Amino acid sequence: MNYLKILNKNEKQEIIRKLKLQFGITDISGTFLKSGTERLFLFQGEYSHKKIKNIDNSRMGLERIGIYFAKFQNNEIRLSIEATHILKDQIKKNIFELNKEQVQQWMSGQELNIQTNKKTFLVMKHKEDFLGCGKASEHKISNFIPKSRRLKIKP
Amino acid sequence: MKTKHNYELKQLFVERMQKLLTDKKDFQDYLNILKVLPVKSIRCNTLKISPKDLKKRLESNGWKIKQPWKNYPEIMIVENSLEPGELGRALEHLLGYYYIQELASMLPIISLKPKPNETILDLCSAPGSKTTQIAAEMKNTGTIMANEISLGRIKILASNLEKCGVTNTLITRKEGITLCKKLKGKGFEFDKILVDAPCSGEGTLRSSPKTYLMWNIKTIKNLSRLQKNLFASAFEILKPGGEIIYSTCTHAPEENEAIVNSILKEFKNIKIQEIGLPIKTRPGLTKWQEQEYSTQINKACRVYPQDNNTEGFFIAKFKKIK
Repeated sequence: MNYLKILNKNEKQEIIRKLKLQFGITDISGTFLKSGTERLFLFQGEYSHKKIKNIDNSRMGLERIGIYFAKFQNNEIRLSIEATHILKDQIKKNIFELNKEQVQQWMSGQELNIQTNKKTFLVMKHKEDFLGCGKASEHKISNFIPKSRRLKIKP
Repeated sequence: MKTKHNYELKQLFVERMQKLLTDKKDFQDYLNILKVLPVKSIRCNTLKISPKDLKKRLESNGWKIKQPWKNYPEIMIVENSLEPGELGRALEHLLGYYYIQELASMLPIISLKPKPNETILDLCSAPGSKTTQIAAEMKNTGTIMANEISLGRIKILASNLEKCGVTNTLITRKEGITLCKKLKGKGFEFDKILVDAPCSGEGTLRSSPKTYLMWNIKTIKNLSRLQKNLFASAFEILKPGGEIIYSTCTHAPEENEAIVNSILKEFKNIKIQEIGLPIKTRPGLTKWQEQEYSTQINKACRVYPQDNNTEGFFIAKFKKIK
């Protein structure tokens, strides 16, 4: 697990501070781990940092802890589909509500040609479904739905 | 004797199944059901959505949903015909609202009864069907250690845990026996352990016809040694008072009752437990060919496909005596 670094309290607070600015999120329970400089994982199990390090140092083949949560991109945080779902009750701003037709487009991996007057990450949602983040730019919202999670629309 | 997939059932396999199913009609029912595809069963991922809300959504998509077991509303069967792959392509599946899982494969976790805040080891965990079921029962609390030896299968496991929003799990990639030894050396113990052992897969013939081609008696004998060692190693790291499930998706007694029997002989601080399951099961065998097993083994459960229109399974539950 050498590539996963457990973040300390201050580093976690810094992430929450950014998420508050971006989406209004104020509290996340659990441990954050960073892979490289970009990818962030969240573990909400009860094993302490000490226990996790003990497992890692004992060569038990620790491959992953928790789930992929977010990615740092140009000093902003892009939440994964699961992260938007986990935090759905806390997300208060930069939300884009999709209509039924747009859900089909979005979940099939297409960018949306929509002017939002924003240049930031938006949480995409449709009613109670939270569908990850898109990046709003001048005339569109870029799509990050991974291939394995995309709807396959019949031609 | 051929199946609907046109695979020839091997003579020795047929003879062995006839010895397990001595009643002629029972054996014929078994052969008949092998020609029928299993039902389309799903498990609502309660980490993301309630069974009531999922049922409502799926029914609004035109699906006919049945909840076969009253006390387990999360378990559902899609009764209407679907296009090939439709179950996996649905938006609700892509969002992790349900997991496609065969009914019999849900039984080991129903038997294990995971509770919030426990520490659970899933020793042979890919592709993650049972790990995600454990996490849902634990409401994402406590800790699950999910182990798998194959890198390819770990990727599938990680992807399934992610899709289901499972945040309480550590994934390790280690040969199971070695992992248990290392855990023991470092003083780790678990409240509950699942040993869903690698097996010859005789119970999965309906959904995995390739098993017809791969089946041979040598594999059964080789697997038997591995299964026994996996179970014994896992038992060493079970907390006193803790519970362990040994399960396989095969009918071969060498991989089931023989393993349980040798464990009961080896350890004095173990007690086999009764299991209450929501389907018809048959007791574990106390005799197979020339071998006699402990009479306690009749507490184990054999699940035959013809009894409940499922796949085949074997499940035994044990407690470590304090």
